[in-house]
Amino acid sequence: MTEGQPVQQAQTPAPATPPIVPSYNPKGPFEATVVFNKPLHQKFYRLGLQFAGPGAEAFAKTRPGQFAQFDLSNIALPPADAIPEELKDESARQILLRRPFSFARVAKEVIPSAHSAPGQTAHPKPVSSGVGKIIAEVVYCVLGPATLRMTTLVKGNPINVIGPLGNGFTVPAGKKRALLVAGGMGSPPLEHLAQVLTLEHPTMDAIAFAGAKTKEDLPFDRPLDNLSREIGFWLKEFGRYSISSFVATDDGSAGFKGFVSACILDWLSQNALSFNPAEAIIYACGPRSMLTTIAKLARDKKIDCQISMEEMMACGIGLCQSCAVKCVAPVGGGIPAGDKSPTAETYKLCCKDGPVFDAKEIVF
Amino acid sequence: MENQIDMSVEFAGLKLANPVWTASGTCGYADELGEFMDVSKLGGFITKSVTIKPRQGNPTPRIVETDNGMLNAIGLANVGVDEFIAEKLPALEKMSCAVFVNIAGETIEDYVAVAQRLCEQKVIAGFELNISCPNVKQGGITFGTQPALVKEITSAVKSACGSKMLMVKLTPSVTDIAVTAKAAVEGGADALSLINTFTAMVIDIETRKPVLANRTGGLSGPAIKPIAVYMVNKVFNEVTKGTQIPILGMGGIRTASDAIEFILAGATAVAVGTSNFVEPNCTVKIIDGIHKYCDNHGVVAVRDLIGKVE
Ligand SMILES: Cc1cc2nc3c(=O)[nH]c(=O)nc-3n(C[C@H](O)[C@H](O)[C@H](O)COP(=O)(O)OP(=O)(O)OC[C@H]3O[C@@H](n4cnc5c(N)ncnc54)[C@H](O)[C@@H]3O)c2cc1C
Ligand SMILES: Cc1cc2nc3c(=O)[nH]c(=O)nc-3n(C[C@H](O)[C@H](O)[C@H](O)COP(=O)(O)O)c2cc1C
Ligand code: FES
Repeated sequence: MTEGQPVQQAQTPAPATPPIVPSYNPKGPFEATVVFNKPLHQKFYRLGLQFAGPGAEAFAKTRPGQFAQFDLSNIALPPADAIPEELKDESARQILLRRPFSFARVAKEVIPSAHSAPGQTAHPKPVSSGVGKIIAEVVYCVLGPATLRMTTLVKGNPINVIGPLGNGFTVPAGKKRALLVAGGMGSPPLEHLAQVLTLEHPTMDAIAFAGAKTKEDLPFDRPLDNLSREIGFWLKEFGRYSISSFVATDDGSAGFKGFVSACILDWLSQNALSFNPAEAIIYACGPRSMLTTIAKLARDKKIDCQISMEEMMACGIGLCQSCAVKCVAPVGGGIPAGDKSPTAETYKLCCKDGPVFDAKEIVF
Repeated sequence: MENQIDMSVEFAGLKLANPVWTASGTCGYADELGEFMDVSKLGGFITKSVTIKPRQGNPTPRIVETDNGMLNAIGLANVGVDEFIAEKLPALEKMSCAVFVNIAGETIEDYVAVAQRLCEQKVIAGFELNISCPNVKQGGITFGTQPALVKEITSAVKSACGSKMLMVKLTPSVTDIAVTAKAAVEGGADALSLINTFTAMVIDIETRKPVLANRTGGLSGPAIKPIAVYMVNKVFNEVTKGTQIPILGMGGIRTASDAIEFILAGATAVAVGTSNFVEPNCTVKIIDGIHKYCDNHGVVAVRDLIGKVE
């Protein structure tokens, strides 16, 4: 990626009237079918969605970092006694707007055979359009009325989805080493990236870092045990793509004790001899405070860095302008804020220009 | 669809294919919406508010969901009239429905200047005067709440907009909406649109701060619908009934039944805002639903329903 250049993909405005009218809306709404909804641990779940027909065609092309808008308004609440105390008040809230979720994995449906147990496929078939069904997996955290409702979804339930939306991560030419950095609930798009790097850039040397406050806040399948205290712990989610991973927790309850950025610095100093910043790229997703630190680290170490941002979204499709992300204005100036005249800052839309941005672009 | 039903309505001299529009600020400049539906099916389209200079808008969070509604404090983020003409207008030319440009500003001169810049543009059928935005410090709603100002700004823009139609968008955040409606009519409004959002607030009880960076925002969505229907009916009965001035009714419309309520209350046409976020092709479904209602109820022309609440 060239200096100061934003991740380009979604920026070229789509032509107002597409030359060829497709037989379906390329972004839906599509009806997906739940194939599994598995509790991981604590408040984390992994939801498998099956897309068929036009939906499969659309979602087969999902790039890691892209997201979709889920209509969860008609889904039932869990029984009263299954609602956690801290969500009792929240659960009474009505849902109007869709909710955005990114994907942890997108693959062609693999019919389980005698040789492979479900979910154990080491290398999924590359997705190609027009054939078969697509399974898209979402990892979610129960936080409020919509995610609480999601927990009651069972195999066979329909769910209305708009997507895939936004731009997604890209692999600039010349990159040989990828550092995947996940903070808390930021891991799903990086898991998806791990899948795609393995398929499309098999020579890329990738490594994952996952950080959270405590081990309870890590959205991964295997509850972290004592082994996790050893550096080099493999999270199954990345291990399945032969990508090694490190865990960092603020309280040291799993893996490295401290921020994930400190863990990366530690790793960088140990690998200083073989590490060429110009050939490396950091991909990060997580809470804003972590992204701020990672963006600074990347700048200090002269490593290119793409980060996936989250903003409150009313539409997710570029209609409402609610998801503004403050960015460095392009040379020549951006739109001034209110009555402040020429400014070095401008807003971009997280749902359309992002959610993935070049770290140098974001004004933290 | 069995019988031939006349879905067209006459709106202040404009012949519209049907009475369903999209509301300002909820469909940008039509480019994104085109990915989800055939926008040429709409009766009318209203752009996001355009101001004389570009505006970045408010800091985030700009929205928060409420029960059956949402607050927004976008802050009239828009590219400004020059870039609007250069970048956005050409795409609007391809639309076959009535295109309205929503105008906002901080001073009367701002509004007039935008109208003057745009009044020669062929593609534009008319202007919607936003004197009801609750999310900007200057202008906006302060114009819309004072009848004398409503009249003054309406007549100033009316004399600047040439042959274009002028529709004035009213705020519900007043004691009596019929009073401001009357003021707009006296100022020379060709049509009225109502309602804009209600000024409202949501507080995060953990941080004890308002959720929106702007502190307050405008409430929209199904939660406001019954009030909007009432206000349309009030303005129809007290101001526009028996005149040539049509009402564009809006506020929480999600289904064809909602739209029909507005039409029965006195709206000649209806606009859909927040619901586009949830179902970007909902206007197409609403058009079909109105058609079905007419068919089922032996109504031959949708205009026969206007103001027919008993
Ligand atoms: C591009 C994008 C991708 C996302 N991917 C995932 C994902 O893969 N897995 C996942 O669990 N969640 C993801 N989220 C966040 C998810 O959308 C919210 O957790 C969800 O909307 C919460 O809905 P709710 O009704 O359960 O809770 P709400 O009551 O709506 O929210 C609960 C809490 O989460 C915060 N929150 C809600 N929406 C957002 C948001 N858009 N950005 C930041 N904070 C928010 C609220 O401020 C509140 O504190 C993503 C968000 C975005 C914008
Ligand atoms: C996100 C958002 C942005 C809006 N922006 C504008 C605007 O720029 N100008 C305007 O006149 N009204 C604006 N409105 C108000 C709508 O046009 C409409 O009057 C109001 O939302 C009520 O209709 P609804 O309940 O169907 O959304 C906006 C509404 C929303 C939700
Ligand atoms: S969420 Fe509506 S424009 Fe991005």
